[in-house]
Amino acid sequence: MTELLDQFEHAVVAGDADKSAGIARAIAEGALATPDEVFEHLGSAMEKVGSKYETGEYFVPEMLRSAEAVRLAIELLEPYLFTRGRDQSGVIVMGTVKGDIHNIGKNIIVLALRAAGYDVHDLGVNVSTMKFIKAVKETSCDILMLSAFTTSTKVALLDVLTALEREGLRDRVKVVSGGASHSEEFAAEVGVDAFARDVKSALAVCRELLQR
Amino acid sequence: MTSRERVLAVLAGEKPDTVPIVPVIDGWFAPKVIGRKNDECFLDGICLADALAASLEKFGYDGAVAEMGLGPQPNVLGCPVEIEGNDVPLVVDTIVGGREDLDKVRMPDPWAGGKMEPVRRLVETGHDGDRFVIGSVRSPFEYAATVRGLIGFMTDFYADPDFVHQLIAAVKPATIAVGMALAETGVDAIVMKDSFASSSMISPDHYREFVFPYEAQAIGELKESVPVILHVCRNSMPILADMAQTGAAVLEMDSPVDLGAARPLVGAGIVLKGNIDADAVVEKGGVADIEAAVKAAMDAAKQEGGFILSTGDSVSVEAPEENVAALVRFGRQYGGYLND
Repeated sequence: MTELLDQFEHAVVAGDADKSAGIARAIAEGALATPDEVFEHLGSAMEKVGSKYETGEYFVPEMLRSAEAVRLAIELLEPYLFTRGRDQSGVIVMGTVKGDIHNIGKNIIVLALRAAGYDVHDLGVNVSTMKFIKAVKETSCDILMLSAFTTSTKVALLDVLTALEREGLRDRVKVVSGGASHSEEFAAEVGVDAFARDVKSALAVCRELLQR
Repeated sequence: MTSRERVLAVLAGEKPDTVPIVPVIDGWFAPKVIGRKNDECFLDGICLADALAASLEKFGYDGAVAEMGLGPQPNVLGCPVEIEGNDVPLVVDTIVGGREDLDKVRMPDPWAGGKMEPVRRLVETGHDGDRFVIGSVRSPFEYAATVRGLIGFMTDFYADPDFVHQLIAAVKPATIAVGMALAETGVDAIVMKDSFASSSMISPDHYREFVFPYEAQAIGELKESVPVILHVCRNSMPILADMAQTGAAVLEMDSPVDLGAARPLVGAGIVLKGNIDADAVVEKGGVADIEAAVKAAMDAAKQEGGFILSTGDSVSVEAPEENVAALVRFGRQYGGYLND
């Protein structure tokens, strides 16, 4: 089993969509791995892709190739993962902030949150402040999750928070930021309620915020 | 020397009295000089032309970048664009969803809707004041990314590379048509912007496959009418030697490029333009940071000539006006050739 999941992870990192989809189909049809195992390996693949980007081995097209492999795999895995336990409830709006087009991590987290039972509205990538505000108003969401891969998107994060204040929405919604480069200090500087570095912490943070 | 003579001298391979200063000041910064919001000037090209002229006059740099009416270039190809307040314009939809939509790419009419009027206006006011005026066009690669959407476009690099070539070839006439129209307005040069082509976005191999051939073809046609400045955002260091082969007269480099190392890579005869960090230095830095950055740029690139001091990229609306003034002041202080 570990070998299969390792192959799955490797296929995602290499951007081999045919292979990752084939393994995903096998997992879904044969219940060959638990959702936790799937998310763990997707999260690990995501970290490796991010690391290759940081070191200059990968560029945006290579990241998107991996993102496509993830997309095809999660399409096949979604029905299987959704039949598992869905013990959480709450409405979450999520998107990657303006100026940032990274979507692999966001897509995996969206899937994990949906699998856990949350109603997730995925706004996509390079989302304008205006679009975030509109979605918060329309969905009356409990949590707004802002994905930002690099710290250079701090301006965009601050812009969303300022707009939430301006629109009188800041007290009505918990704001979580996330991305490979995030730290507690960065989140504190930006002024979000919590931050998540990966799938596991995103699930834990949402559970905790909604139980408060 | 007047400002215009100063820049023209550099383009002619001559040494001017002082290094020309032509920062990338466009519709993101200039409107505030006349007390307007960016979205107002986005919708009113004359407002933009007047803002650019006012900024040129107020800060006294040597040349301005004239944007077309309805500022953002994607609009030329029919992509819907939104802007709010002082935000940068955002493309909100694409035209080409995939290979099946290739025939939806239409040749734009650059003159339609008075799009060139702001450029004409800035050329008139700029030349009245003996300033150098640059028209702005997007490269075939950037237009293709815009009509397809950046994510879809770069996903296609591996999924359907032939389609990527077909799409870039299909929009290349738009770059040439807009460039030729700009030349007709009387601009002194054209800057061809390639925002997504750097090694911060794509590999040098992909640059050579998807960007360079079309850049070189477009520049080859345009430079018959007007000198071309090639701008690539972020880190273009690994592809500088390639960029030097496109036929561009000037390479405009963003702040990640090492100016001192750039000259040996591009060789003699090509003007270097750059590369004060518009974000960390001009927007967020203080006057002392500006002085240090200008001095470092002059130390790295002035002596051999063929250098225009500039910001690496667009100056933002958040940049303090005193920083722009300091950029020009220190540019003059450290840029002189006569006493060297």
